[in-house]
Amino acid sequence: MATVLILGAGIAGHTAAMHARRLLGRKHEVVVVSPSANWNWVPSNIWVGVGKMAVEKVTFPLEPLYRRKRIEFHQAMAVSIHPEGDAEHERGFVTIRSTMVGTKGKESQIEYDYLINCTGPKLNFEATEGLGPSGYTVSVCTAPHAVEAAEQLEKAIERLKAGEELRFVVGTGHGTCTCEGAAFEYTFNLDHVMREAGVRDKAELIYLTNEAELGDFGVGGLTFAQQGFQTTSKLWTESLFRERNVRAITGAHCTEIVPGVIHYEQLDGIVREVDFDFAMLLPPFRGAGMAVYDREGNDITETMNNPAGFMKVDANYQAGAYEQWSADDWPKTYQTPLYDNIFAAGIAFAPPHQISQPRVTPRGTVITPAPPRTGMPSGIIAKSVVLTVVDRINGKAKPAHEASMTKMGAACIASAGMSFTGGSAASMTMHPVVPDFKAYPVSGRDLRGTSGEIGLAGHWMKHVLHHLFIYKAKARPFWWIIPE
Amino acid sequence: MHVLKPQFDPAIDIAPLPTAKTLRQRRNLAYQFVRFLGINLKMIRVIVSGHH
Ligand SMILES: Cc1cc2nc3c(=O)[nH]c(=O)nc-3n(C[C@H](O)[C@H](O)[C@H](O)COP(=O)(O)OP(=O)(O)OC[C@H]3O[C@@H](n4cnc5c(N)ncnc54)[C@H](O)[C@@H]3O)c2cc1C
Repeated sequence: MATVLILGAGIAGHTAAMHARRLLGRKHEVVVVSPSANWNWVPSNIWVGVGKMAVEKVTFPLEPLYRRKRIEFHQAMAVSIHPEGDAEHERGFVTIRSTMVGTKGKESQIEYDYLINCTGPKLNFEATEGLGPSGYTVSVCTAPHAVEAAEQLEKAIERLKAGEELRFVVGTGHGTCTCEGAAFEYTFNLDHVMREAGVRDKAELIYLTNEAELGDFGVGGLTFAQQGFQTTSKLWTESLFRERNVRAITGAHCTEIVPGVIHYEQLDGIVREVDFDFAMLLPPFRGAGMAVYDREGNDITETMNNPAGFMKVDANYQAGAYEQWSADDWPKTYQTPLYDNIFAAGIAFAPPHQISQPRVTPRGTVITPAPPRTGMPSGIIAKSVVLTVVDRINGKAKPAHEASMTKMGAACIASAGMSFTGGSAASMTMHPVVPDFKAYPVSGRDLRGTSGEIGLAGHWMKHVLHHLFIYKAKARPFWWIIPE
Repeated sequence: MHVLKPQFDPAIDIAPLPTAKTLRQRRNLAYQFVRFLGINLKMIRVIVSGHH
């Protein structure tokens, strides 16, 4: 009998748990540790955050599903990993701290044969003073954050209706943020709801981003083929913003947020400030912050993780300067170099470097988007890791399964509005996520799989995906046919 | 009154605006249905290439 322990029940962790349970015989254990009682389809938090979707539509309780599927669930935070065990544990184990009402704070240990770390990001609001829900800006990164954002937005829209003129700022709250696509989507949604409410003319909408130029999206920008020409995501985004009357501040690192004012440094090294009445700024991400100890109790966290706290896997972390970066730097198996029974999937794995060109201001401030590890890659990676683990448990002497972000694609659909004909969307697909200039010398990506278009079609697609992924996550009949 | 003036990206002011025809196409149900199939095909290509 083997125990597969999965830390985190987000997009990667839940995918891993469901596939592990499906593929492993009943004699093997699948155990999940996650601090929240609910699963959350994070991409749809955007709609919750503009008050267009109820939070219940994007979350569901995990415990009944896991009970039905015979997955052992612990509502807890993983606090430390002990890959070599200790005097009392022969196998590796993880110390967890309960987050459940009644047992909150209680620590216990879970032994494992295989560990899959899917703990995603720690939302590092502390990196910028005044950032986030405990400061002066809102967030849509979690379902409760999105609910709060919607409440504040509603108040702001009431003020617009009463005739006030207000400034809305949406974007990234630090120079090293990722997920610019989410900020872009929230901007698009704000524009839509304010038009719907008939108050768009009273609102100034600003997109404030760490991207050096619009359309970078943390992936170094995209090149599309459109009507016989190659165009860029830069021009595409600029055109959309001009049409929707959105202004932009690019290459910005927020230094401090005080009530109603964002201070930021730009790539030219100049510190500027913009005042706001409503601001949704994403935080930078850190790793979940679990400590790692060897058998003797020595702290080996710094060997296991990169400085941002993400777990190192089979990537090339010595790639050097931007000019030397190659597609081969990116991990394929997500196995940690120190322990062949520990893997990290989704946002939890340490990328070798950014995808966008790194930039530093004359003052030495790094302003470069971190590489996005969006939903589709997170799910694909998690499934690939499970296939490797299942092979090993079943004694198959096969090489580890591979899922490189230089081979897989991603889709980012910014969709606003709920009705069939009344919505709109700006949709992008990219293939691969990490450009491979050897395989695709022109732009690093396959022009047939890389696109940007605006229209109702993407809006329908986004709604189909929303229902499809929630269906899949709830393990409804034939859920496993639906790709990650 | 906003007294503090940030610098906005000037490229937006000269970016191409969609024509009336493009705007109509974005809302035209028949045209968008065809595009929906197109995006689906593109997504299938992206998904198939990512799952080995
Ligand atoms: C607002 C927003 C919109 C987005 N929109 C899109 C989109 O349209 N398309 C797309 O592809 N991607 C989108 N993304 C990105 C997508 O949500 C992430 O890529 C995806 O959630 C990453 O999956 P993950 O499992 O690595 O992390 P998560 O989904 O964040 O899951 C991490 C899990 O680990 C748990 N955890 C944290 N710490 C611990 C610990 N110490 N112990 C145990 N468990 C822990 C968390 O509670 C959570 O359950 C969006 C992101 C945001 C924030």
